[in-house]
Amino acid sequence: MSLRKQTPSVFLKQIIGRPVVVKLNSGVDYRGVLACLDGYMNIALEQTEEYVNGQLKNKYGDAFIRGNNVLYISTQKRRT
Amino acid sequence: MAANATTNPLQLLPTHIVMKSDKEIVGTLGFDDFVNMVLEVVTKFEITPKGRRITKLDQILLNGNNITMLVPGGEGPEV
Repeated sequence: MSLRKQTPSVFLKQIIGRPVVVKLNSGVDYRGVLACLDGYMNIALEQTEEYVNGQLKNKYGDAFIRGNNVLYISTQKRRT
Repeated sequence: MAANATTNPLQLLPTHIVMKSDKEIVGTLGFDDFVNMVLEVVTKFEITPKGRRITKLDQILLNGNNITMLVPGGEGPEV
């Protein structure tokens, strides 16, 4: 675990291809594999699942999320 | 104790972040010009339901649009 100060641009290069959690401003949660993203936080996900309280929808293939809706993008390694 | 406030106001301190909505996040960080933030060892707090919600390890990229306030060295609401 590298606890160095990181800028977002460095972070973005590192997380592509990893399973992520994307939370929107509306509170909806999306979990999937990060296909690509840009500096506006526009996101393309694969094998996406949509969670509001419980599990709602399953999307397979690509999902595109517009960056202005994104609250955060988190990697999931589940070390807890 | 070190007053490095001129170059880097927010070093690898645990930083308490207050969002526009009733959410607060504590984590260690780096950030960019738009105040988007990369946080590690993140704890999310929601104010209305009592107490802390989710503790995430690894890293998150937090969108700067929703950030209201940063408290360097802060630990978040103590519950």
